[in-house]
Amino acid sequence: MKNLKNYLTLSVCTLALAACSKNEDNPVANNLELQFNNTFKEQTIVLGGANASSATKNTSAQGQVHHFSELKYVLSNIRLIKADGGEIPYNINDLDKGATVIDQAKASTLRYVLSNVPAGAYKQLKFGLGVKTELNTLDQLRFPAFYNTAGANDTKMMWEWGTGYRFTKIEGFYDTDSKPLSIHTGSTVAGSEGNQTQGVDAYREITLDLATQAQVGATAPRITIKADFDKLLSGKTNTITLSTGTSQSDNATPNIHTAVQMLKFVDNLGGNGVNDLSGIFSVSQVEN
Amino acid sequence: MMTAIILFCSCEKQEEEGTFQFDNPELAFELPAGFPALNNAFYANKPTQYAVELGERLFNEPKFSGNNTISCGSCHNPNHAFADNKPRAIGINDRVGLRNTPPIQNMAFMQFYNWDGNILELEKQPLVPIITHEEMNSSILEVIAKLEQVPAYRDLFWKAFGDPEITPERIYRSIAQYEYTLVSANSKYDRIKRQEGEQFTETEAEGYRLFQQKCASCHATELFTDQSFRNVGFPANSDTQEAGRARVTGLPADYMQFRVPSLRNIVYTAPYGSFGQFATLRDVLDYFDKGVSDAANLDPLLKANGNRIPLNENEKEAILSFLETLSDEEFVGQ
Repeated sequence: MKNLKNYLTLSVCTLALAACSKNEDNPVANNLELQFNNTFKEQTIVLGGANASSATKNTSAQGQVHHFSELKYVLSNIRLIKADGGEIPYNINDLDKGATVIDQAKASTLRYVLSNVPAGAYKQLKFGLGVKTELNTLDQLRFPAFYNTAGANDTKMMWEWGTGYRFTKIEGFYDTDSKPLSIHTGSTVAGSEGNQTQGVDAYREITLDLATQAQVGATAPRITIKADFDKLLSGKTNTITLSTGTSQSDNATPNIHTAVQMLKFVDNLGGNGVNDLSGIFSVSQVEN
Repeated sequence: MMTAIILFCSCEKQEEEGTFQFDNPELAFELPAGFPALNNAFYANKPTQYAVELGERLFNEPKFSGNNTISCGSCHNPNHAFADNKPRAIGINDRVGLRNTPPIQNMAFMQFYNWDGNILELEKQPLVPIITHEEMNSSILEVIAKLEQVPAYRDLFWKAFGDPEITPERIYRSIAQYEYTLVSANSKYDRIKRQEGEQFTETEAEGYRLFQQKCASCHATELFTDQSFRNVGFPANSDTQEAGRARVTGLPADYMQFRVPSLRNIVYTAPYGSFGQFATLRDVLDYFDKGVSDAANLDPLLKANGNRIPLNENEKEAILSFLETLSDEEFVGQ
């Protein structure tokens, strides 16, 4: 009896070994890398203070020159669509493993590596700009890593009063006299089903087709995504003129710290969810 | 093998102890006559003897702040109907908040919390001050780590929830339960309404009559607020984070609208206005009398009256003396 058990164990081990060696030739999974290039049109953005000559300047459709000193946004809910239409979710309900803060000031954050992606050909990429409502609760116990990243002093991607994350944080300057601009977006949705609900949802779903399919397997592909911040003011949905003041019609700075007027910017950044599902994002290259 | 037996025994013993000790009775909760309906969240978190006890202790726990100096009670002072006397709230390291501290009273009957109603369930509120830079500047795990060092909390959590684990949810729920018990309905006004033998003075009675005529359309129900949001043309807070109710809804129509405040215990909560624009209640009445700032979304009732509530000096005196009858001395510990 004991011998039989040993033989069985041995054969299971052999089988496992065989499976392993097969994997090495043709892996069942590999990495997939997302590389973000934040631009004004074709030019990669260089951040800078009010009078920094090195900062990348852009001019809006309405003729307002502007540049950024800070540029951050949150990415989550990443899904990969296989050539046959099957959807592979990437840790979509785990902000620690499936969400990140893209920060133009930190080069390492511009590259986000998805690990253990099932082998196959992928034709489409979907992700969320921001955090979907059900996870947007500043739950430190559940997602301590993302909470700490977003809340760090040099990041400040939390909207405390809304107990949610900031989805976008842009600081910069506009017009020839370099007036400050400050545009923060985030959701203010509150209330549970069956009770009263309120607030605006600033989360946006992005869908990007891959002209060249990404082949995950023996190779780990890299998808370069362009985020064109020219569209912040001159977007597919809204053409925005910045104006400074404290009345509700003013929108430059720092009034977009509330839900007022925020959706104009949100729709330009992340699409309006109706006829624009990509906002500022496009795929510039797939390297296999 | 011996170890296993010992472990087994000790496990069983603990379980028995746990089951035996956990008895946390629900507290009786009286609905004062004429008060509006309870918030639905109340039914899912009804006050219990030990969670309320725990909640009260947590409410007064300075370990909630990053440097152990600020508790909920630092701003929500019982002697001021759980508000304070500062124009804007002062938090950790004397940092100044955006708005005037709201009183905490009759919370179970409110459908919106804070001046812009951003919170709909009381259990969702305690995290906000904990993490806000100008208030406590901490985090819930930092708070829990500190509480775990205090042996008394082990017992309190055990009694309240059946085991000693300190979780964010338990903190939020016990603080909310304590706050639900802060019901103020024993003012002179209440005693007169209940016909317990007291009477309004002549001036108070005149004030009550004027109040019903000029104030009660917004300060309605026995809570003295209809819980609506209105722009009454008060001097605006120019802080860039302020948009009133629109901060939450994003709607232009809600710009600089604030929740109509309850007038219960109003004499204890000076200064007045969303960021303490008015030092006294008389200042508020003077302002309404002279005329408020115009706005596209100024309250229709004010618009219909030429942007003001005309009041002569005698009328103001009368209204002020009526407002004093809304003071619940027992509630504020005086």
